[in-house]
Amino acid sequence: MRLCVGLVCVASVIAAAQNSGYQQDARWRAPQEAAARQNPLASRPEAAAGGRKLFLKNCAECHGQDGSGMEKKRSADFHLAFVQEQSDGILFWKITNGNASRGMPSFSKLPELQRWQLVLYIRQLKRSE
Amino acid sequence: MLKSCLFVLLVLTLTLGRAALAQESPFFVTYNHHMEEPGNLDLETSTTTGIPRSGQRSYTAPYLELEYGVTAQWTAELYLEGQSSPSDSTVFTGWRFENRYKPLGREHWINPVLYLEYESVNEASRIQKEIEGGGPDLTSRNSLLRSEHARELETKLILSSDYHDWNIAENFIATKNLSESEGFEFGYSFGIARPLATLASGDECRFCRENFVAGIEMYGGLGSTLGFGIHDTAHYVAPVISWAVSDNSTLRFSPGIGLTHESNPVLIRFGYAYEFQGVGSKISRLFGRKP
Repeated sequence: MRLCVGLVCVASVIAAAQNSGYQQDARWRAPQEAAARQNPLASRPEAAAGGRKLFLKNCAECHGQDGSGMEKKRSADFHLAFVQEQSDGILFWKITNGNASRGMPSFSKLPELQRWQLVLYIRQLKRSE
Repeated sequence: MLKSCLFVLLVLTLTLGRAALAQESPFFVTYNHHMEEPGNLDLETSTTTGIPRSGQRSYTAPYLELEYGVTAQWTAELYLEGQSSPSDSTVFTGWRFENRYKPLGREHWINPVLYLEYESVNEASRIQKEIEGGGPDLTSRNSLLRSEHARELETKLILSSDYHDWNIAENFIATKNLSESEGFEFGYSFGIARPLATLASGDECRFCRENFVAGIEMYGGLGSTLGFGIHDTAHYVAPVISWAVSDNSTLRFSPGIGLTHESNPVLIRFGYAYEFQGVGSKISRLFGRKP
């Protein structure tokens, strides 16, 4: 019984921390040519394992270990359909440029392929939903 | 007093922060446009060791650096520095407070960053985080140099580009000594670096090539408004390498080669950085503010 109550409490805390109500910044838009870029690692799904490692090290602090976002950080929930509907090129552009006005730093310091690995991993979050 | 403050700061950072992936630039002198992530604190200890030529004094200059990401576009740093000479003495040489601001939020071909630093150092300072004017006095005794205080305002224009995983950065320096009328002193630094591997492996590994960044930087003085140019100035060319030892710490090494008679023949730099994540929000919570 105690275990059940404990699990419910933990689940509630996790649910409260998620940001399923995340709303995009309408001004944060990738240029068309950036949005059209294809992921060069699309045919190498095994590279997503490296993407997961990079995600946990660089992104989890704000987006959560499971990528569901954090309300207090106003960070995106990667499981949401309107996030997953964005093209690989848009996600890559957003990782590269960040959104300084909303506190999202630029990750251009990561090599280009590593940023594509992050995109690959974010796509896996959709599949594991 | 200083020791107690440092101790409190260290305890606060160790208890409040979580370790983050260190993504340190390998450069010691050249700045690029990659800012500290907001709310993260980077604690770094480094040394600059000068191998003397005839008539110069050998020295080791350690410094402690606290780098904090105020916002995604603004990074602030505090330096505390000292200097020790085997045949002379060990002295505290002063402190520096610097700010870097990236005016453009997005990535561009060339990314400008504006830099403003206030220094309260004495002439025994040897950390050589930048070289302006002719470079430091490498021949006089510490007892003489430590009594000459300088309050300086230093500005830099930092231009930096990422091109095919190469980072190319150029810094242009202008310094004004507020204590004496020496005119403006000038300096420069350039750097280029690249990770040894650009694809991350799925495994946790320490000696993987992806954990190493290598490059080269060049820096030196350009005289002052009283005498502009490279005559009687110090210049170095220095290979640089950084290694992400763990998810939260980075080691850096650079053996610089002096190019002029005013330079040390060899300038060896070591650095160890430890990064804490989310320090800002934890401190906000301590004071009851919503992060």
